[in-house]
Amino acid sequence: MQKVCLSILAVAVAVFVLWLPFVATSQINDWMFRVAMLCILAVSWNLMANAGAISLGHSAFWGVGAYAGVLSANSLGLPILPATGVAVCAGAVLGAIIALATGRLRGVFFAICTLALSESLRTTALMTPKLTGGAVGLFLVQKLRPGATELFLIGTAAAIFAVLVSVVLAHTKFHYACRALRNHEGAAQMLGIDPRQYRLAVLAISGALASVAGCINAWYGGYLDPNIAFDLFVTVQAQIAPILGGLFTIAGPVVGSFGIVFLSELSRIWLGAHEGASQLVFGLVLIVGILFMPKGIYGSLLRFWARRAGPAVAKPAGGPATIIPQVQP
Amino acid sequence: MAYFTQLLIDALLLGGIYTLMAIGLSLSYGVARVINFAHGEAVMLGAYGAFWGFRLLGLDPLMAIPAVAMLGIVVGAIVFRLTILPILDSQQENQILLTFGIGLVLQSLAVMAWSADERATNPDYALSSFELGDLVVPGARLIGCAVAGVLVAILFVWLKFTELGRASRALADNREAAGLMGINVPAMFAFVFGLGVALGDTTGAIVSFILPVTPFMGFSILIKSFAIVVLGGLGSIVGTVIGAFVVAFAETAVAYYVPDGNGWAEAVAFAILFVVLVVRPNGILGTQATL
Repeated sequence: MQKVCLSILAVAVAVFVLWLPFVATSQINDWMFRVAMLCILAVSWNLMANAGAISLGHSAFWGVGAYAGVLSANSLGLPILPATGVAVCAGAVLGAIIALATGRLRGVFFAICTLALSESLRTTALMTPKLTGGAVGLFLVQKLRPGATELFLIGTAAAIFAVLVSVVLAHTKFHYACRALRNHEGAAQMLGIDPRQYRLAVLAISGALASVAGCINAWYGGYLDPNIAFDLFVTVQAQIAPILGGLFTIAGPVVGSFGIVFLSELSRIWLGAHEGASQLVFGLVLIVGILFMPKGIYGSLLRFWARRAGPAVAKPAGGPATIIPQVQP
Repeated sequence: MAYFTQLLIDALLLGGIYTLMAIGLSLSYGVARVINFAHGEAVMLGAYGAFWGFRLLGLDPLMAIPAVAMLGIVVGAIVFRLTILPILDSQQENQILLTFGIGLVLQSLAVMAWSADERATNPDYALSSFELGDLVVPGARLIGCAVAGVLVAILFVWLKFTELGRASRALADNREAAGLMGINVPAMFAFVFGLGVALGDTTGAIVSFILPVTPFMGFSILIKSFAIVVLGGLGSIVGTVIGAFVVAFAETAVAYYVPDGNGWAEAVAFAILFVVLVVRPNGILGTQATL
């Protein structure tokens, strides 16, 4: 019952956000666009985290997607959708390369590796001005840019697509295999799950998704420089949204993205005079989330419902969205 | 030839400072198995401590070292006790994200309190230099390197010969056995973590007259420290010293010989980190697989 309600709610939200660009003010649309971009990133980060790969380098995918989208459009005159296709390929290839290169690395080693990768990409972009425009930056050719409504629509559609990807994956063997790898890689291997294959697939899918967000965002902004493309802030937001919403769930990243954009706007309005105020809020969310609310908003809601439904149905609802207890590796 | 000798001098001076910078990170990993993603922010806060001491009290940055170090130990131990200890035995990912969040909070507090302006302490020796034949030895780096060397030497003696130092090494060897021998494990972890933070603060006080002091200086320092620690072998203090000099030499060589070298030198640490992790995650002296 609860599952049916949730599905209906999800479809209603999807229809509503697709309808918004036609009627809402540009301010609301701008917020929704940010939610959509963050949502794609969060879904992508969550997918990787679900397979036990904690990424501290999501800005690498974001930036590569942005540059792939803008550079291919500028040099070949591609419109936005084919350019996004190029970004998807670039992100998937980068993800696959990372998976192959870091084959043996787990946990903190993998995290540091991704952090180093995104920073070296930033320096490379800064030091190759012939390709990327260097510190001066790069403008998207104006006449290629679609109208605002179309951009908002594409952004929202991409976010819905990303969530759909995670829903579909959550109902396949793939999802359970990834979860098994996260909980105990050795045991998963005994059951015939090849970690290399699954990590390759997860990183490619996740990288492609994050690159889509980077590309669409670059088209929205119309301007790119290495510090925007490979901004550490992107990485920070990509990890905070799922943690705030609820790690390893489908709804978590979506709820978290709304929460993060809401919090950052609030902090901008209340503490706007101070530079770095929203960063402070994000840092606090990260600390508080991990120490006191490890299952996020969505997990807390689920527990609340389960309690209200009484002890007879208090057992966690089935299905892949359920949070299972962490097993020590 | 003089060009290469100059390179060697610059690399050696930089390597001494890098050793002190990374050794705190190495120590808290080696003993408490905590990867401190806020280590760069410890350096940043130390640099600000020295800066404000210099600006408001006219205190020489080197004289500020005892004060910032004491503060670092106390605050580091408290932060460890309150936030890291409760999740020490959960998955490593939580540690990464938690210390990352602490770093983020410290950085944004620094931006809010002191703005993003670049600052520096400038004691008399900061801009001095002297010449040896064709070679130039910058005074600030020489003094920084000398102080760093003395402090690292003291740390080694402390680890080797004192009761607390022995306890730290015992914990690094085998946590359970050390606990059974009567060592108060959580308190010792908090102390060593605080010591790591204090070493970071000390580095900050030293680099306050070498690098520009900004709230954002921590990040590149963190990555460089990681590169050094991973290259030397996670948890190996001697490895960290070797790693520091290798990274310093590589960076200086790139800055000297590659066109636009100063820009690329920033990426050297990242490249080293990436290559070492992929090729030999245990580093030069890392003995056991900690994967």
